Amino acid sequence: MSKQDLLSIVPLFILTSAAILILFSIAVKRNHKVIYGITTLSLLADIIFLAVAEGPATWTVEPLFIFDGFGKFNLGLILVTALAVTMLSYAYFEQREERKEEYYILLILATLGAGTLAISKHFISLFLGLEILSVSLYSMIAYLRKRERSDEGGIKYLIIAAFSSAFMLFGMALIYYTSGSMEFGAIGAYLSSLPELPIIMMAGFGFVVVGIGFKLGIVPFHMWTADVYEGAPLPVTSFIATVSKGGVVALLVRFYSQVNGYQYNSLVVIFTVLVIASMLVGNFLALRQHNVKRLLAYSSISHLGYILVAFIAGGSLGKEAVSFYLVAYFITTVGSFGILTYLSDKDRDAEWLDDFKGLFWKRPWTATSFSAMLLSLAGIPLTAGFVGKFYIVAAGVKGNTWLLVIMLVLNSAIGLFYYIRIIAIMCEKQGATDANPSTLRPSIYLISGFSVAVLTVALLWVGTFPEGLIGLIRSLLSP
Amino acid sequence: MLIIFYIAAAVAVIATVLVITQHNLVHALLYLVVSFLAVAMAFYVLGAPFIAALEVIIYAGAIVVLMIFVIMMLNLRQESVAQEKKWLNARIVIGPVILTLVLAAELLYMLSTETSVHLTGEVIGAKAVGMSLYGHYVIGVELSGILLMAGIVGAYHLGRQKKKVTHRFLEKQEE
Repeated sequence: MSKQDLLSIVPLFILTSAAILILFSIAVKRNHKVIYGITTLSLLADIIFLAVAEGPATWTVEPLFIFDGFGKFNLGLILVTALAVTMLSYAYFEQREERKEEYYILLILATLGAGTLAISKHFISLFLGLEILSVSLYSMIAYLRKRERSDEGGIKYLIIAAFSSAFMLFGMALIYYTSGSMEFGAIGAYLSSLPELPIIMMAGFGFVVVGIGFKLGIVPFHMWTADVYEGAPLPVTSFIATVSKGGVVALLVRFYSQVNGYQYNSLVVIFTVLVIASMLVGNFLALRQHNVKRLLAYSSISHLGYILVAFIAGGSLGKEAVSFYLVAYFITTVGSFGILTYLSDKDRDAEWLDDFKGLFWKRPWTATSFSAMLLSLAGIPLTAGFVGKFYIVAAGVKGNTWLLVIMLVLNSAIGLFYYIRIIAIMCEKQGATDANPSTLRPSIYLISGFSVAVLTVALLWVGTFPEGLIGLIRSLLSP
Repeated sequence: MLIIFYIAAAVAVIATVLVITQHNLVHALLYLVVSFLAVAMAFYVLGAPFIAALEVIIYAGAIVVLMIFVIMMLNLRQESVAQEKKWLNARIVIGPVILTLVLAAELLYMLSTETSVHLTGEVIGAKAVGMSLYGHYVIGVELSGILLMAGIVGAYHLGRQKKKVTHRFLEKQEE
């Protein structure tokens, strides 16, 4: 290993050392504040290192990793999102679980797994990253042992994740069998020497798509999403919705472009069908939901569909659109789950629509920022979600995927209904007979409130002045 | 030599199907051991003796340890001795023994033939595996370590319960 190799993987080192440091500090004394501090500081240090470290634009650590602009961007995005999730976790776990320290180890390890996915260019690092992410998530989902639904969510995720990993491994084996390599670039080189896609290779890609589709929660691999979102603690839900999916999207984009998936018509057709199904099913299932957590779960299915529209469109514009939409979607999702965290009380998460009745009168600021998040999810102008969708449509038009663009516009209209309904419920005036005023109560939520405020400002900032972010993405993605 | 591979593979598939269809956990575990041994045999035919040995030591060995644990937890009173006898009677053992004998016959045949018996012609030994793991793929090995850490921390948290819940047989004894 050369010096540059070691310097490149420092972001992974920092995360690993932080996990081990927390392990030792638990052994000495259990102190939530100290461990929270270690987690926050190490994530911050990691982000700063990634931002200031100088090095060649593209560097490969043979044979597993590649550090190019796209990989670094996604790694940074994952770290920043993990930091936001950490900020939300403190207040949430402080009043719920007596042993909250292990959560931070798992959070950091899951972040490491997602980060590994974003920079991997080899099946081995892909699989290890995916498994580190999944194994940490099993226990994170079931972390609150006393809640009735947490075990159900954890076990569902465990079984389906193990099942989809098996599919994926078999797919990798088939690809390795035909191409004789597990490196994305080498597979691409092998494929380009052939006139058409061999049938075994095709089957292999199909199995890998099953594994990736499960992680992304796209239709028809979406069955776990609603139950897991509902059962998991709120910060973990936001983690699953953002970091875990973001890492896999980054991986999918890299894998697909390195093996030149765009030139094979059958692969494009498969993805087109999956994407249209995701958008439709996600939106229609969300329409009749009364549980906000489940509603956001179904909405995340359709949002992954939107992201993949840009992915299918391909080209450099498609890559930019995917990156931009990921940022917008992450801000919005962490923000809305952050608000749910903020409103939850000790025993129960604020997840039913009734919990939001008259919120505009009780807590105008919270309600305003939640409305901003929902409008961004719906894609209303002046929010990040709108610019993201605009970007995707532009990429789709440029890639001539008209069917997908039309479906996207149609689905945005359907989606508008259930987002606006929540806002309408928040506006409803509640009678004076507020029997339980302490249901949604403030306490030690200063950090959570601050993070939500920051996310809201970021959302509006990106929505109003997107040039800065677009410029950053362009400069990182241009080779 | 292809036929040896296919016999081993068939044994693996049959044993695994039987694992799934058995109602009794201990019987299922017996077939699971056979399944792992058959997979080890397949590895050996393919020219990976080191991986075959690891398969036997780690997987088949671990299952045997698991079985010992199950029996240890039960073996507390007279009735459980009777229960154990009922579970492990001779008829149950016949199936796994036949399958294992098939594998043993294959192994003996392969050891007795002088010529190179491996399918690929190239034998990958322990040294090659070690060179690859700790040279080329060292980051992968470290990531596997992290994977284990995530698993252990999670299992530690989930396994710990506030209420003192012991095994149901142990609990009865305390009453």
